[in-house]
Amino acid sequence: MSNENINVALIGNPNVGKTSVFNALTGLNQQVGNYPGITVEKKVGFCKLPNHAKANILDLPGTYSLNASSMDENVVIELLLNKNDKLFPDVAVVVTDVENLKRNLLLFTQIKDLEIPVILAINMADRMAYKGISLDISHLEEQLNTKIALISTRKKQGIEELKQLIMSYKNLSTEPCLNASSMDPDYFGGLRKTFPNELVYKLWLVITQDVNFRGIEKKEILSEHRKSDSELKRMQQKETIKRYQFINDVLKVGQTIDKESARDFGTKLDRILTHKVWGYAIFFGILFLIFQSIFSWSEVPMDLIDSAFGWMSTAVQEHMPPGVLTDLISQGIIPGIGGIVIFIPQIAFLFLFISVLEESGYMSRVVFLMDKIMKRFGLSGKSVVPLISGVACAIPAIMATRNIENWKERLITILVTPFTTCSARLPVYTIIISLVIPDERVLGFLNIRGLMLMALYAAGFLMAIFAAYIFNKILKVTSKTYFVVEMPNYKLPLLRNVGINVVEKTKAFVVGAGKIILAISIVLWFLASYGPGDDFNNADKIVTAQISKSDAAVSQQELDGHIASYKLENSYLGIAGKVIEPVIKPLGYDWKIGIAVLSSFAAREVFVGTLATIYSVGETDEQDPIREKMAAERRPDGSKLFDLPTGISLLLFYAFAMQCASTLAIVKKETNSWKWPAIQFAIMSAVAYLAALTAYQFLQ
Amino acid sequence: MQTTVDRLKKGDRATITGIDADALPLKLLEMGCLPGNSVELLQIAPLGDPMYLDINGARLAIRKETAKHISVEVTS
Amino acid sequence: MIQELIAFGILGVALLYLGRKFFYKKKKNNDNCGTDCGCG
Repeated sequence: MSNENINVALIGNPNVGKTSVFNALTGLNQQVGNYPGITVEKKVGFCKLPNHAKANILDLPGTYSLNASSMDENVVIELLLNKNDKLFPDVAVVVTDVENLKRNLLLFTQIKDLEIPVILAINMADRMAYKGISLDISHLEEQLNTKIALISTRKKQGIEELKQLIMSYKNLSTEPCLNASSMDPDYFGGLRKTFPNELVYKLWLVITQDVNFRGIEKKEILSEHRKSDSELKRMQQKETIKRYQFINDVLKVGQTIDKESARDFGTKLDRILTHKVWGYAIFFGILFLIFQSIFSWSEVPMDLIDSAFGWMSTAVQEHMPPGVLTDLISQGIIPGIGGIVIFIPQIAFLFLFISVLEESGYMSRVVFLMDKIMKRFGLSGKSVVPLISGVACAIPAIMATRNIENWKERLITILVTPFTTCSARLPVYTIIISLVIPDERVLGFLNIRGLMLMALYAAGFLMAIFAAYIFNKILKVTSKTYFVVEMPNYKLPLLRNVGINVVEKTKAFVVGAGKIILAISIVLWFLASYGPGDDFNNADKIVTAQISKSDAAVSQQELDGHIASYKLENSYLGIAGKVIEPVIKPLGYDWKIGIAVLSSFAAREVFVGTLATIYSVGETDEQDPIREKMAAERRPDGSKLFDLPTGISLLLFYAFAMQCASTLAIVKKETNSWKWPAIQFAIMSAVAYLAALTAYQFLQ
Repeated sequence: MQTTVDRLKKGDRATITGIDADALPLKLLEMGCLPGNSVELLQIAPLGDPMYLDINGARLAIRKETAKHISVEVTS
Repeated sequence: MIQELIAFGILGVALLYLGRKFFYKKKKNNDNCGTDCGCG
């Protein structure tokens, strides 16, 4: 309860369009966060009511009933049982879907039993004619003891009526619509006697659920009114049956379905989309199209962003007084931020496609098709979305695992998703491939470089599956949940929902990964710009002396480049590179590559920029000058440094190494422990090292 | 013919006669999987699992290991 | 010089941020665990 704002809670089954109603009420006045301590999304927004009052709208996670079977659903009960919660609703709006009224009303009757004012919103009303459904609203309102708003978010109808009903919530009856306690009158009678001030249904929920209820302890109640677990389960089933009997009776009169005029395009579509041959063909075809589009559409925006940040960097260098801060900003902070922003186009496009597939209902069919295959590797059909999302960025991908009910399947998905080739690896792949792989065609039309790139993508994906298989065998995590996937009706995606979803997921990447990448970039810049000892501090004198000794004619720019390179060599970062050299020598790397690999731990794509500095190209990460220098690099014995074995070794290393602190942070958050990110880091590093080592030694 | 849902063939329609309450999640009951309600097998995934069913008007997919706990009487 | 002060100040903030993100032990919150969330 809060000042004059009305607290409204939106509750309902998944797939009824609750989010569309939320979006229609709040527009962009919404905020997405997390419930404290757990990884469940909390969506709050506000909307203005006709009489100028404001309503706080809380979009609760979708649930089929108050009998919670997951963390998401727990959140719903917890809120409804705690009157003193800030967000406790003054009125609840139960959103239902006109095609699934029978099932949706189960939740409705349960909420009524909590004696909270409830409005029944029947959504997708535009489909009534199509399905031959007609409703007797006044009969329903009378039997269910509520007020009904018929809504179509697609046709933008009914929202104003809903707002009116919310405004006059005080007129709503709080009488329950059926007497659930009649399933065991003695037991409930006893409860009533012991706890006269509490709602019987509330007590029942406390007994049967594992939730935080600030009031009475579950043990307290059970100590006096004992029931075994299986007795409780039977009672819950009886309750469900009773509720359905009530709902059936109400709908027998209140709803008529004319089967003749009902049309069913969805079933025909399903036959093709879940067909044993066409289903998969269509799915892989769609995947292929998605990836093609993402890469071609992103090129232009990425180039623009690149130039923009390059320009900013130069501008700062030119207009700010020379000094440490200026350098930090133009060489550390701006490129750091640029490195994050440049991936926004790819990520946004991928989520655009995924969102459209989900909104249309197609994703559930994909889950259905892939489940059995995925299960063999310890994953779930629902792991498909995270694995695909990982191609853009692992961070929103890992967040997408929240809808996998089985903990073991979810954990394995989280652990292996980073093996899929994320966007950040591309700049590294591109430059190495262009260095060591010839630009030739095979079979007349297949470009070898393109094939190599595809092979790397395949390697990432296959390693993910293989790792899942191993984890599945090794991990002794018990979990016993059931796979139940609702197959929603096909519908045209609502652009507004898709848009908001894309913005949210992209924000997750920018904010989640962004802050960490920026912080690490800053630290790395310092490590690369400061060094112990005289060599570092006197770099310019030493290098200038060396150059004049060597007699070569050198421009100021080249001289600066050499000085920068020398400084890097003798900075803390450079020393670190030399220290790890013995370890990376078997992989074909020298300490210079070592520095670049270490820097990549801020963000993989930093590899290219760091190489530019090392090879004293100066401030640029234009690929051509860097590539020339790299091609010219020689080992102590005179052979090429960037030859095929080293190139392949580097490619494999980057394919499998865990070089993303942001990913580790999100894994920690989603698994609530340090154990898993640590294991992930250890295993991925080991795989990367071994793969690179094997490749290098084998190709020698 | 009495059987369990995991043994149905594509296109079969049946009425639910009994459920092994301990082996099924409450959620399934809450979605309408109760004695007396109708079941239709719409599709089986290409590798035999999961099963895409219409239970009492609700369209959902469940794994065979869950389906075998639902007893039905085939009607068509 | 001011430049150095600010620059090192930024470094300090960055280090603090990373330290908090990676080394801070969040309070164990096991009230919300269902039977199957596998926390920790």
